[in-house]
Amino acid sequence: MSTPTSLTGNGDNLKTLVVVFLRGGADGLNMVAPAHDDGYHRARPRIAIKAADTGAAKLDGSFVLNPILKDLAAPYHEGALAVVHAVGSEDATRSHFEAQDLMERAGDVAGGWLGRYLRFRGATTTGALSAIAVSRALPESLRGAPSATVMRSLEDFTLGKGGGLLQASLEKLYAKEHDALGASARDTLAALNRIENLRKTTYAPAHGATYERDDFAQGMQQVARLIKARVGLEAVSLDIGGWDSHITQSAIMDPEMRRLNGGLSAFYRDMGKMMAHVTVVVMTEFGRRLGENSAFGTDHGRGSVMFLMGGGVKGGRVMTKWPGLTKDVLEGPGDLPVTINYRDVLAPILQRHSPKVDLAKVFPAFELKPQAVYG
Amino acid sequence: MNPTRRHFLQTSAAASLAAVAVGCDKLEIPQGLLVGRRPAAPPDGPYSTPAGKDIDLVSHALNRLTFGPRPWDYQRTRKLGATEDAAFAAFLDQQLAPERLDDPNCENATRRFELLNEPLGELFEYQEKHLLDALVRSTVLRAVFTERQLYEVMVNFWSDHFNIDPSKGDAKWLKVADDRDVIRAHALGKFPAMLRASALSPAMLWYLDGRVNKKANDADKPNENYARELLELHTLGVHGGYSQQDVMEVARCLTGWCVQEVGRSKLNLGSVEFKPFQHDRGEKVVLGHVIPRIPKQAKPEEIEKLGRAELDTVLGIIGLHPSTAKFIATKLCQRFIADAPPAAAVSAVAEQFIASGGDIPATLRALFATDAFLTTRGNKLKRPFHYIVSALRATHATTDAGHAIQDYLLRMGHAPFHYPTPDGYPEEAAPWLGTLLWRWNFAVALTKNELGNATKLDADKLRASFATEENQMAHLLGRAPNEDEVTACKDSGAPLALLLASPSFQKC
Repeated sequence: MSTPTSLTGNGDNLKTLVVVFLRGGADGLNMVAPAHDDGYHRARPRIAIKAADTGAAKLDGSFVLNPILKDLAAPYHEGALAVVHAVGSEDATRSHFEAQDLMERAGDVAGGWLGRYLRFRGATTTGALSAIAVSRALPESLRGAPSATVMRSLEDFTLGKGGGLLQASLEKLYAKEHDALGASARDTLAALNRIENLRKTTYAPAHGATYERDDFAQGMQQVARLIKARVGLEAVSLDIGGWDSHITQSAIMDPEMRRLNGGLSAFYRDMGKMMAHVTVVVMTEFGRRLGENSAFGTDHGRGSVMFLMGGGVKGGRVMTKWPGLTKDVLEGPGDLPVTINYRDVLAPILQRHSPKVDLAKVFPAFELKPQAVYG
Repeated sequence: MNPTRRHFLQTSAAASLAAVAVGCDKLEIPQGLLVGRRPAAPPDGPYSTPAGKDIDLVSHALNRLTFGPRPWDYQRTRKLGATEDAAFAAFLDQQLAPERLDDPNCENATRRFELLNEPLGELFEYQEKHLLDALVRSTVLRAVFTERQLYEVMVNFWSDHFNIDPSKGDAKWLKVADDRDVIRAHALGKFPAMLRASALSPAMLWYLDGRVNKKANDADKPNENYARELLELHTLGVHGGYSQQDVMEVARCLTGWCVQEVGRSKLNLGSVEFKPFQHDRGEKVVLGHVIPRIPKQAKPEEIEKLGRAELDTVLGIIGLHPSTAKFIATKLCQRFIADAPPAAAVSAVAEQFIASGGDIPATLRALFATDAFLTTRGNKLKRPFHYIVSALRATHATTDAGHAIQDYLLRMGHAPFHYPTPDGYPEEAAPWLGTLLWRWNFAVALTKNELGNATKLDADKLRASFATEENQMAHLLGRAPNEDEVTACKDSGAPLALLLASPSFQKC
C-alpha cells in the first residue's frame, strides 16, 4: 500500500490532541474516589463510592474508579490512562463562568490556550483541518487559533454538490502554480479527495469498538475517522455539558459519566495502536465540595480530576499531591484544595506534541512546574 | 441617549413613513423622512475592463490601495486621467483626502451600529458580545462599502500594528473607543499623534498592563509589558537599538497612568488618569537621554506636571527615531509591495517618514512613487479578510457581515479583533497558506447564495454589467484572461466560483 502524501509536512509524525471539557463542574471525588481516606466517607455518608462496591475498579490501592467509569479500567491497567487528582486552576470564585473562562484562556490574557498553542507551536503553517471544535460554537480555548472550524458534518469539507467539475478545473489551473500557493492548493486537493473517500464509505470502527448514539460518542467517532484519514488534525475540542447539579447528583451526573465512559472507551479500542499518536485530555472547571449536602448533592468546590489517555502518557497511576481531607487542609467552605495546576499537566503534553512550542506564550504570566506526565 | 429610546425613535420614524405611504396615491418618500441617506447608484454599464494580458497600473492600484475593485471601479478610475499614470495620480489624490469623498452607502450599511459612537463610560452599558459583534461587522461592512478605500486599508494596517485583542479585561468594552479614537482618528494622520493616542488609550492600558505599572512604594516593580511592546512592536522594532535597560527605564517613565476599572469604580469608567504618587520620581535614562529626578520637595501639582510630561518625552525620543522610521517603512512596504521589499524602497519611505514628521499620507506618497511599488504587480497573497471582502466587492454582493461571513473569517483565522498577541495578524503569505479549502468553499457558497439571507449576489445582473463573458473575467482577474482560464471557466460548470477560487484572485 502506498503512503498517502503528507498534508502538513510531518505526515505520520503528526500528533492529535483531543480536549474533552466537562462543563458544569464534574465531581472528581465521585469519579475517582479516595476510598482510602476516612475523611471522604465521613463527609459523604450517603453518596460515597466504597472500595467494596461492585465494579469499582481499584486503581492504585488508594483510589477507586466509579463503577460507571468501569471501561476506563482497561486503558488504565494497560498503562495508557493516567488520572491526575486534586488538580484545577487558581480561580477560587466557584463561578462556572469565571472558572471556565480562566481555565480556557489560562489567565487574564487574550485568546485561549489551545488557540495560542496552535499559533506558537513552532510550525509556520497549519493543515487543512488543523483545529476542530465538535460543538455548536467555537470554545474560548480555541480563540486566536490560526484556523479553527466548528464541525457540523463532513459535508462542510467538500466543494458542495456538483463540486467535482469545479475541483477538476481548479486542479488544472493550480497545476501551473509552482510557488507556495500552488503547493497549498495541491495539499487542499489531496485533503478534499480523502474526505470525499470518507464520505463515500460507511465508517467501520476497528477492533470491535462500538460507539453509542449520544453526541459525545458520535463526536469521538468523527474524530477517530478524521485522524485515520490523516487530514492534518492537530487539536480537537469536545464538550460534555450538564455536570452542574446540586441535588440528587447521581440522577444528573451518572448519565454524563456513562457518556464519558462510553465515548472514551470506544475511541480507545477503535484507535488501537494509533493511540500512541493521540492524547486525550479530560478536564473540568472545578470539582465539588467534599461534604454532601442535605439533598444527596454536592456544591461547587475546587480540586477535581483530569484524565490523560494515550500519546505515550505514563498511565496506570493516579498522579496527585494528595493533601488529605482533614479540616485543616480543606479550602474555604470545605473543598478539596488544588495541589496541581492544570497548566502544569498540559504543558508537557503540548511540548511532546510540538517540541518547538513557545510555552511562555501559551501560558503567560505563570511559572510552570511541569508534571512528570511521561514518567 | 439610551439605546431603547433611540430604537423607539427609529421605529416611530419608520411608522410615520408607512403612514405617509398609505395616504398617498403615488408612493414618493420625501428625502427628510428617509431613515438613511439616498444610496449612491453605481454608474450605468456595461463597464469597460482591463484589456492587457498583464496587470496595468490602474488595475494594480485598485488591487493594492483598495480591498478590490467593484464592477465599475476600473472604468471609473481609468477615466480620472488621460493616461494610466495621470489616472493613478488623480485616484491617489482622491484616496488620500477621504473626508472629501461622499460615502452614503457605507454610512447606510453601518448606521445600525450607533453604539460604536457611544462615549467611553456609556460603552459599559452594553453586553460585550454585542460590542464585539458590532466592531467586527462594521469593520467588514466598511471595507466592503466605503469609497474611502485606502483609508480603510490603513485602518486595517494600524489595527494590526497597534493590535489589541478585546477579550482581555475591560478591553472588552474599551476597544470600541480605541478603534474609533486611536486607529480611525489617525489612520491617515500623523504617526506621533497616533502613537500618543495609543499610549493613552484605556484599552491599550488594559491590554498591555500599563494600568498596573506603578511605583507607589519601594517594593513596587514597574510592569514592563507595554514599555517592551512600545519599543519592539510600535516604534523601534526588535533590532531597533534599545536594551533591556531601556525597556525598564521607559516602563519607569510611564508609571502612574491608570484606568477607572469595572468593579472598583462607578464614576468615569474607562477614563485614564495619572496618579502622581504612583509615578516613579527617580532619574531615568532612555536611549541615552537623561530624564532628571523629580525633586523631593516638589509640590503635588509640580510632580503631576513633570510626571505626565515624561510620557511625551519618551514618545518624543522614539516616535520619529530612525529605527522607527525604518521599522514602519518596512511594514508599509511589506503591506503594499512584497513580503521581502527591496531595501531601496524601504529607505525612500523611511526618509520621507522622518522628513514629513511622520505624516502618513506623505509617507504613502513616497511609497507609491517607488519603482518597486509601480512594477511589482500581482505578487501579494491576499490575506483572508482581503480575500473575502474583495470577493463581495467584485461580485457587487449585498451583505450584513453576519454570522456566515464571520464564520468563514474564523475558519480562515482572520476575524477582526481576534488576534491574541500584540504583534497583530502576520502580513506575509506563509502563515495563510495552510489550506485553500475555506477560500474555495467561500467562493462556492457565495456564488450559490448560501451565506445566509442577507448576503446575496445577483449573477445575472453582474453578468449584464459587462458586454462579454471575457469582460467579466477580465474584471475578476484584473487583466485579460489567458487560455487556461477561459478553458477552466467553461469546464468548471461554475465559472464565477472558479474565478473567485482561481490562483489570480488569491493575489493582489
